[in-house]
Amino acid sequence: MKETLETINRMQADGVIGQYAIGGAVGATLYLDPVATLDVDVFVMLPGVDRGRIVSLTPIYEYLTKSGCQIKGEYIVIGSWPVQFLPPGNLLEEEAVYQAVQAEVRDIQTWVMTAEHLVAIALQTGRAKDHSRILQFLERNAVDLNKLSNILTRHSLTSKWANFKKRYPNE
Amino acid sequence: MNKEEGKRLAALSFTEKIELLEKLRDRSLAFIEAREKLAKKKKLGPDGPKSDPVELDGRPP
Repeated sequence: MKETLETINRMQADGVIGQYAIGGAVGATLYLDPVATLDVDVFVMLPGVDRGRIVSLTPIYEYLTKSGCQIKGEYIVIGSWPVQFLPPGNLLEEEAVYQAVQAEVRDIQTWVMTAEHLVAIALQTGRAKDHSRILQFLERNAVDLNKLSNILTRHSLTSKWANFKKRYPNE
Repeated sequence: MNKEEGKRLAALSFTEKIELLEKLRDRSLAFIEAREKLAKKKKLGPDGPKSDPVELDGRPP
């Protein structure tokens, strides 16, 4: 992971990407016990790209392939990790990138989404594995419910949250 | 994993958790690879390349 993060940070320093934040299962690992995952989801802002425009990841792929990284389907392998670069698809994901917290892996600084944003995005995505992750956050008291409620209200996710709570009443 | 074990793991540093994550990932990849090899052998059937029959169906020939 050290090499992966060093490469992503270098890509940011070189202006290929703007702010970024690790999300998904690896991001959740900052707050929870580790759960097996095969890839890293990195949400990236792309310099000079306006919201709503079609985004091309070509500059990222070109930069990384020149650095010797290999493309495997929707992933690009950096170090030992397949990485998926995801431009924010909506305002919630964009906010999650901008409000990410700093973390450190083997002396390398990186950015990880807040627990509340990870839960809100998981709720929005809504697959079984996302629900399972939300339950894990709640069970571990790893989420500030006031902050979460604020995010859910601002991003029109309160009815989804109500349905989730109805489905899992003991959490 | 029980709740106490989960809490203990959750309290590890991010670096320690990532190291565990990498071990879990390597184990998952090894499992996937072994499963794919097995599936390939089964698909090839008796006329395919020589393979250990014990691995194919768990019984000696």
